Amino acid sequence: MKTSWIKWTLSAATGLVVAGCATYPDQETTRQMAEKMVFEAFTASPAHMKRLEQDRSQQICSKIGDAKLSAEEAAEVVKLARASIRYPASGRLSGDWKAGDRLAHDGSGDRIRNGKTEPNKENGALCQNCHALAPGEINVGNVGPSLTGYGKQRGNSEAIVKYTYEKIYNAWMYFPCSNMPRLGATGHLTPEQIAHMVAYLLDPQSPINQ
Amino acid sequence: MEDNPGELWIDQGRDLFYQKRGPRNASLEQCDFGMGPGKLEGAAVRLPRYFADTDRVEDLESRLLTCMTRLQGFDRGQLIREAISAPASRGSDIEALALYVTSRSNGMKVNVTLNHQKEYDMYKAGEYLFYRRSGQTDFGCVQCHGEPDKRIRLQDLVHMTSKAGAQEVASTWPAYRGSHYVVRTMQWRLNDCVWQMRLPDLKYATDYSIALTTYLNRQGNDAVMQVPGFKR
Repeated sequence: MKTSWIKWTLSAATGLVVAGCATYPDQETTRQMAEKMVFEAFTASPAHMKRLEQDRSQQICSKIGDAKLSAEEAAEVVKLARASIRYPASGRLSGDWKAGDRLAHDGSGDRIRNGKTEPNKENGALCQNCHALAPGEINVGNVGPSLTGYGKQRGNSEAIVKYTYEKIYNAWMYFPCSNMPRLGATGHLTPEQIAHMVAYLLDPQSPINQ
Repeated sequence: MEDNPGELWIDQGRDLFYQKRGPRNASLEQCDFGMGPGKLEGAAVRLPRYFADTDRVEDLESRLLTCMTRLQGFDRGQLIREAISAPASRGSDIEALALYVTSRSNGMKVNVTLNHQKEYDMYKAGEYLFYRRSGQTDFGCVQCHGEPDKRIRLQDLVHMTSKAGAQEVASTWPAYRGSHYVVRTMQWRLNDCVWQMRLPDLKYATDYSIALTTYLNRQGNDAVMQVPGFKR
């Protein structure tokens, strides 16, 4: 037993063997190694494993460090975003601001623990995590811009309603690769839920415009 | 620092380290964290690093798993199942051991070096993963940790693409988490991040988390280690 320990600990001398010619792997080698790591790192059903797969826009939008999005890449992301937009079956892009208010303050939904997703009836819209909302609310994030007075500043013309709906459905249509999740396009929110968010942002009665 | 309840876990970790435990009734005194068997001073500030005996880059927690299975004969699966403790519990053995071993580098500078090819590979893979967006939130790490002075609700976010932010990451884990009443490790931190990102269950001590830790810790070089950290 003792001998085997000694052998093992002696062989633990680290980092010296290949030191001579080691260097950073190139971009493609890095990508292949890291992608392999992703798909080995999680325990998940086949359906949940799909969450790890990047779509084309996510691939483009995962620039490393200070690498810049080219004009062609930005155009492709915008094009894909435009093609992703779906509207509510009713055709009404603005719903119930009270439902929107509730959803805006709900940061839960679809998280996975021990293979099970949260039992929520519907996903929260996550807004409060990153945006200031109604005046005086303190427990709000600042990763995204303040939305306080959003509708007051913009009015609620048809054009603004449509823009706001599309911006929530797929923010990358207007701001390719921004930090804002493509809440409709990725399936996190339904078109009907997004219509409620539009009402919450634009309705003059909504607390966000008081 | 005297007021940090996490200090209690250091004593617990020291006891666990020197006690003869496991099916082989052995202590961890022969465990090599990269400075030689049983040499703990300054070992944690150089992790993750390549270990020839496993032919892998290991972070502190995966190295503990290696030693607890090889030296003490513990079952790897069982150790992993227990590695992240329940809130308000007495904590897991690995949490206490990780804190004890790291505390033996307190006051020393983080110094993750790249020598072996697998260390270069891990570093670059970690950088790639930091920026990799996926899932229904379109999040990579950088979406929340790429700018200064940002918050999720009232929770401050570490600005990890700055030197100071990376140094905070590299020098404050394991940490006592006030809202959980236990000591938490870097593996736990990453696990909780990917949960919020809506990704599936992250396995314990896989290359994915070791790569991210290699990248972040190296970005945080020259930070002065001071554990346990204290987190909300």
